[in-house]
Formats: sequence, C-alpha cells, structure tokens
Amino acid sequence: MEGLKLDTRKEMKIYDPALCCPTGLCGVNIDPELMRIAVVLETLKKKGVVVERFNLRDNPQVYVDNKTINDCLMNESADVFPITTLDGEIVLKKAYPTNAQISEWLDVPESELIIKK
Amino acid sequence: MNLYNPAKENFTKYIFFTGKGGVGKTSIACATATNLADSGKNVLLVSTDPASNLQDVFDMSLNNKGTKIKEVPTLTVINLDPEQAAAEYKESVIAPYRGKLPESVIANMEEQLSGSCTVEIAAFNEFSDVITNEEKRKGFDYIIFDTAPTGHTLRMLQLPSAWNTFIDENTTGASCLGQLSGLEDRKEIYKEAVRTLADGTQTTHFLVSRPDETPLKEVERSSKELFDLDIKAQHLIINGVLEEYDANDTISSQLYNRQQSALKNRSQALLNLRTFFVPLRSYNMTGIDNIRNMLNTDSVSSDASNKVDTSDYKDLENLIEDMYQSKKRVIFTMGKGGVGKTTIAAQIARGLASRGVKVHLSTTDPANHLAYVNTQIEGITVSHIDEKAVLETYKKNVLDKAKKTMGDADLSYIEEDLRSPCTQEIAVFNAFAEIVAKADNEVIVIDTAPTGHTLLLLDSTQSYHKEVERTQGDINPAVQSLLPRLRNPKETEVVIVTLPETTPVFEAHRLQEDLARAGIQNKWWVVNSSLLLTDTKSPFLKAKAQSEVQWIEKVKELSNNNFAVIAWKEVVE
Repeated sequence: MEGLKLDTRKEMKIYDPALCCPTGLCGVNIDPELMRIAVVLETLKKKGVVVERFNLRDNPQVYVDNKTINDCLMNESADVFPITTLDGEIVLKKAYPTNAQISEWLDVPESELIIKK
Repeated sequence: MNLYNPAKENFTKYIFFTGKGGVGKTSIACATATNLADSGKNVLLVSTDPASNLQDVFDMSLNNKGTKIKEVPTLTVINLDPEQAAAEYKESVIAPYRGKLPESVIANMEEQLSGSCTVEIAAFNEFSDVITNEEKRKGFDYIIFDTAPTGHTLRMLQLPSAWNTFIDENTTGASCLGQLSGLEDRKEIYKEAVRTLADGTQTTHFLVSRPDETPLKEVERSSKELFDLDIKAQHLIINGVLEEYDANDTISSQLYNRQQSALKNRSQALLNLRTFFVPLRSYNMTGIDNIRNMLNTDSVSSDASNKVDTSDYKDLENLIEDMYQSKKRVIFTMGKGGVGKTTIAAQIARGLASRGVKVHLSTTDPANHLAYVNTQIEGITVSHIDEKAVLETYKKNVLDKAKKTMGDADLSYIEEDLRSPCTQEIAVFNAFAEIVAKADNEVIVIDTAPTGHTLLLLDSTQSYHKEVERTQGDINPAVQSLLPRLRNPKETEVVIVTLPETTPVFEAHRLQEDLARAGIQNKWWVVNSSLLLTDTKSPFLKAKAQSEVQWIEKVKELSNNNFAVIAWKEVVE
C-alpha cells in the first residue's frame, strides 16, 4: 500500500558559517551561490523534501552537539564551511552542493529543482 | 506654544520622553518626575541615560532595582544600563561555547552581538519588564521613562509585532531576526509592552527637540515613525528656547533669531502636535535644586564673569595644517546628527584646496547648500551620497542579479531579506568604498564614516567569501581595499565632531571606542558651537559658556590634547 511505503530518501543537512542571513545579502557582495542554494532548498521544501540548514550564528549548539561537525570544526578551523552531510556523513566541505549533486543524493529530477512560472 | 509646566498637565500613567542624544530628555524627565512627586504623587522614574549623570543629579548611587530619593520622598528612580545588560546577554549567549568552538568562531559571534541593535534590544527588554510589571502599575501614579524606543530601536520594535507572521508563516526561516532568537520566550511580554506603548489612554510620548533646523527635522522623522507604528499620543517639547534677547549683544540676538526662524519654519506635521517649550538654562543639570528650577526659574551663577584660559585651544586651521603636513588622503568627519559634520568637512576641504591640494568633497547631506558655495571656484569637486537612492539602487541590483541566476525563481524570499536593517548600512558602505577608492588621485573629505562595528562585521563576512572556493560573488575591489586603507593612520584621519555638552561628548567617546575596536585610530577632535569663544556680553550666555568648560576639558583628555574648538556661529548646517 502507498501509505506504508518507507521513505528511503537520504537525509541531507547543510551547516553554514555565521551568516547574517541565508542568502548572504548582508555581505558587501551578492553571492549567487548562497541565493541559489536558498531557493533550491525552498523548492525542495515545497515538494515535501526537507533539508535542514543551520546557521552558526543562530544555532551554535548544533555545532557543539554534533560530534562529526564539531570534530571537523575543531580540527580544521572555521574555514571548512559550508558542510553538507548525507545521513550524518560529511559528503562535501567548503562549497554548496550543485543541483546535479542534490538531484543525485536526494533522488529528485534536476529539472524540478528550478521553480517555473 | 506654551511653557511646559507638568503641574498643569493631565498625564497618562506611562510617560515617555524621546529624542536624539543631547536634546535634554533626561533633564526634562527628571524635572517632570520631581515636579509631580513634589505635588504628592507616587512617581517612578526609569532612566537609561547612557551618560549616566543621574547619580550626579540626585547625588546618590542608583541601581536597576529602584532607589528612593531623600529630598523627594515619593520619587523612586531606577537607573538601567542597557550597555551592561547587552554585555550580560552577549556573555550568556557565548559562554557555553567557549572552548567548544574555534576561537575565530567565538570572535565572530561576539562581533555579531556587539552592535547597537543588541544594546537597543537589551534596553527594550528592560523597558518591557517595567511596563508589564503589575506591582509597579499599581504602586505608582506615574511611571516616567527618559528614553523611548526611537530611530533604529523603532525598526527593531517592529519585529516583535512581525513575530507572528515571521515565526508562524515564514516557512523559509529568514534569520535576520537572529538578534531576537534567544528571546522568543519573551514574545508575550514584548507584545504587551508594545500594546501599552501604543495605547493613548495609558501612554503619552513627549518628543523632545532643540529649536534648531536639524533637530527639528530629526524629531519630525521620529514623529512619523511613531505614527507609522500607530502610536498617536504624541506631544512636542522644544528644549532650550531663548525667551528674550539682549539687544546690545550680537550673539544673543543672533541666537534668538536663529531659533525663532527654525521654529517658524518647522513643518506642518510638527505644527499639528501639541507643543510646549522649556527655556534655555545657563547651568548644567546637576543637583536637585537645578532640576526643580529647570521648569521655573533661571538664576545666573555669580562666577559667570570668571575668565577661562582658552589659549591652548587649537582652531580648525591647526587641524587643516596638520592634515596637510601629514599628507592625509582620506579625511572623515564623524559625529551624531546636528553637530556640524558637513560644514566642518567643507571647511577642511577648502583649507586643503587653498594650499594647492586636489580635493574631492563628498557629503550625505545634499540639503546643505551652504557648504558648497564657491567650491567650484576653489577647485573642489563635490559629490553626494544620497542614502535613500543608494539603498534603492542596491536593492534593485540584488533583485536583478537574483532574477538572472535563478530564472523564474520565487523572489519573495530575497525581498524579505532585503528588508533587514543591515541592508541600508551595506548599501551606503558600497558607495563609500567607491569614493574612497578615488583617494589615489585626490584627497577625499567625507562628512560621515562607517561605524567600527559595520567594518568588523563586513571584514569577517568578506574573509569568509574569499575562503569559499565555489563562490562567484564578485567582491568589489574598492571594498576590498577599504578597510586596510582606513586602518592606515598615514593615509586616513577620522575627525570626531562634538558639542561642548554632556551627552554629545559621551556619544563621541563611544564612537571613538568603536573605531578603536576596528583598528582605526583617531587623532583629532573638533568641539563645535562653543559660546566660550564668542565675545558675548550677555551675562546669561556667559554663564552658559562657563558650563562648556568641563566638557571641553573632557575632550582635551579624550583627544590627548589634539582638539580644535570652533566658536558658536549664527549659521549652522
């Protein structure tokens, strides 16, 4: 039955550095990467795929409690951000996943990551 | 316009005095409280005066719990220190992470919580406690505040009322509300406080201003902001009005005329407000007697004729010569509104131009035509930073880029972020950087400066962007070279401009500390509008001039004796 089907989709999480806001607009330069990722995650959420995203400024406790993240942070300094995890494993550092990577990891067609009019 | 007399007013339970630093809010609040208490009412005075001169006023040590005043038995004073509250809040947020997160991360968190927003939220936090306290509501006839959420605080204040929409409806989780994130459990208290603030049957707002053009414009803005927040119970108090002038004394008649013309030209919006005035006083507001007399009489102190030695005061020419000799490339004049930054920037530009230096003058005050008279003849190029226009351009620029990168993406998300308070600072900052970058070819004089806090925040954001490999964000090269340039004392001078009065000197000191934190050293100070340097014959103004001495001495100390004093002039910016 449809309703009993287990969600086998992997769980993706993104750990940001201390950003003023998720689009990075508060910086002097406008970073299209930050905007892209913000919009892609928003699109995913509307499709029911929740990617948790943390901001070091607002949720520092998460960066202490999560051992994987904390070890990485303490050993490699704050330069490792952003970090992406898949089912708790670090899969990417120092960059945001591309649409292709997100599509592969979360099993969502890449074309659906872009909102159409 | 009537003389302000608390005995004749029917006050609401909560009374707020609001206005920019230095307009005399604390003095008027103290005088009102004392006056009401003298008439037998139970009064609570809540002060957040950053200059903390209340302890001198009442000649006793005060605290944040409440102290009964010996000379005024029915008056209780609470002295809040928002700076300290902010520092405690900051520490409570950061302490659990020390040693558990890298040092660089801790430092960045600290900076995020070191801005004026944190102090203002801390102040509001403490306000709310008093306003919503049932025991105080019952125990006192009047509760008087010598500050109110104004200017930037107002914008932050809009957030609690936006909390519902943000937290419940905003599925994107925009986090520009980060400042409030630790205070979510206080949502109800804030709501209640905001409701009381806007309730005209419970609360009256007295806007306090000076009888001068700039302060009157500022108070008009504050009034509009309050109306926009649906706070309509507003009155206006004009503090420091010269009631009559000495016909034989030029300074006194000039001062009188200047005040009257500013008052006559005030906007319709201000004319619509019920307006009172408080006469100009010659003394500093210290001691219970002065406070009691403030709204009644003036007595010219007998030592008014004492001659003060002003021979070690430098003038603007000394300052300009030093800038010239030390070959400064970038000169900022920095200070709060109304201290005369634009006029002084223009004078410095002129002084350098007359020495053959190629000068560019940039100002944020396009309304000040006076500053630019003849600049073309003198070979000075002039530009304006129109803050509003710059902000609009910046927003448009962001949205255009967003559209390009994201195709048909839903832009409402980005638009929400653009409403954040930091957007304005950033927008203006870019304009700054562009102008300062010209310093390779000419000397730049600017009538305003970014705060140390903004510089530090941007610095950490910028270094982050450099580290993210994939980032395509094009950092403006002008922005990249700005901070190193500002930090180089050989190239840059920030001139701090202030007035010889309590609050302006205190506020200027804070600007100096903030700059120092960002690694920017300031050498020169300018004390503007000094009556002491005029040849006034009026005994009243002479007494007033005497009260300036202690503040000029303070500037002498803060500036390590690098300060210029400028005489009061009929015409100001």
